[in-house]
Amino acid sequence: MKVEVRGLTKTFGPVAAVTGLSFDVAPGAVTGFLGPNGAGKTTTMRMMLDLVAPGSGTVTYAGRRYSDLARPSAAVGAVLDGAGFHPACTARDHLRIYARMGRHGAARVAEVADLTGVSAFGDRATRTLSTGMRQRLNLATALLGDPGVLLLDEPGNGLDPEGIAWLRGFLRAMAAEGRTVLVSSHVLGEVEHLADHVVVIRDGRLVLDRPMAELYGSAAVVIHSPQAEAFAARLAERGTQVGQPRPGVLRVHGLTTAEIATLAASYGVVLHEITPERPTLEQTFLHLTGGSP
Amino acid sequence: MMTLVAAEWTRLTSTRLWLWGLLAALGSGALIGLAALVGPENFTPPLPGLETEEGTRVLLGLLGFTVFAPALLGTNAVAAEYRHGTITATALFAPRRWTWLAAKLAAYTVAGLAYGLLATAVAGGALLGAAALKGVTLGLPAGTVAVLLGRIALTMAVYTLLGVAVGALLRNQVLALLVVGAYFYMVETALMLVPGVKELYPFLPGGATAALTGFTYLSEAVATQTGTSATALLPAAAGGAVLVAYALVAAAVAVAAPLRRDIAR
Repeated sequence: MKVEVRGLTKTFGPVAAVTGLSFDVAPGAVTGFLGPNGAGKTTTMRMMLDLVAPGSGTVTYAGRRYSDLARPSAAVGAVLDGAGFHPACTARDHLRIYARMGRHGAARVAEVADLTGVSAFGDRATRTLSTGMRQRLNLATALLGDPGVLLLDEPGNGLDPEGIAWLRGFLRAMAAEGRTVLVSSHVLGEVEHLADHVVVIRDGRLVLDRPMAELYGSAAVVIHSPQAEAFAARLAERGTQVGQPRPGVLRVHGLTTAEIATLAASYGVVLHEITPERPTLEQTFLHLTGGSP
Repeated sequence: MMTLVAAEWTRLTSTRLWLWGLLAALGSGALIGLAALVGPENFTPPLPGLETEEGTRVLLGLLGFTVFAPALLGTNAVAAEYRHGTITATALFAPRRWTWLAAKLAAYTVAGLAYGLLATAVAGGALLGAAALKGVTLGLPAGTVAVLLGRIALTMAVYTLLGVAVGALLRNQVLALLVVGAYFYMVETALMLVPGVKELYPFLPGGATAALTGFTYLSEAVATQTGTSATALLPAAAGGAVLVAYALVAAAVAVAAPLRRDIAR
């Protein structure tokens, strides 16, 4: 199911939280929704779910607004920052309540509890749960309706490294099944190995909306060789873009490390070092959002 | 809608809130029994005894005075959702917000009625028991006592509904509990002391409740203290109608109010 955000605007008093924001979230992929704290990510996601009324603009799921979906929780699952639980309620009872609300059947409670690891603490009162357990319970609640769209606001918050790795694998699997996955984060490392596409906002405005692969721009490989000049000439003959930042060092564009190593062997060129050069998403992000790297 | 009501019922029974409600209902009924055993004639100031009509009415009125308890339970229904942040999930699963508020109103009205029936059953039994123990007969025929108890049970259901509405409007759990408690125990009694305003008393929730439950002791006591004539209460049926009207207005406002509010947490 495709999600379309069009011209979304929201002001809180004199503060413009989100301004004219438009982007699509495609099915079968993980879209990273990035921006520094206070950029308007949470407000945008809450507007996407009709929790916050936009000043103007629309959000549609296969053409329909969230509130107009026949069974919203069966179409869209959301994990939002600040969503809580009744402290005296057990984790399983929390799931039972919302399974009832969404008409998802009692069997789904056990299924999502197993899927997210909530089963391990299902009988504990939610007040005793760790932040990571609460995140899993939030995710389990979102999955009750087996939704085709998943919206997650900072889902990695409070998860330990193991939990983050698990979540990453889980969301990749969800996307591989053809679901639409949007994950917001201000921690770029979290999204770097997860997202296929990124939407970056800053001060409530769209900064960037493109595939992850394009975000890095032209990746380069740096090589060190005693025959750098000769190798540069050979590569240039092939039409490869080569730069020589200093003697003995080349920066090669458009070839992988394997391709370069193979070419070097075929030309009888000795290589001392071969390193893919790639700006981290963090650097790209800081550059795009106006921060200093 | 029935699934939402069922979900509210699951929510209500998944914490110990229902147990507290049960204890409060049993406790308020038992309180009447205790008061009957002590005997109104031993109160300070002394009141007519259990064997007189007035004495029996005072004890029933005392039970009517505990309607704040189910009102507080109702207040908790919505306010707790805001306090604990479950409002987000609730609004996600039922984005047409009037639906879950209507479901809450329905579920809690039933719960309030159950509370009222339990409290009045215990109180009725305790009154009869206390009278038997003391070797007197109640000052009112059993049929009249049953009717008055039934009206109190209905009043408790209506107050629970009012409580849900107040909780939906104020959202802050502690504030809502304070407002409901302060209104019933201070504001309305204080209003009775104001000469011009006291004419309104029969139309206020407390005055309507007094009319419905036939409990005029409070307004009479105020009249005696201030040396004025007591404000005449509405007939019981009219009092009941006023109370139901309050509940309906409160429910309508409660259902309409959150529609335009952002859930920003």
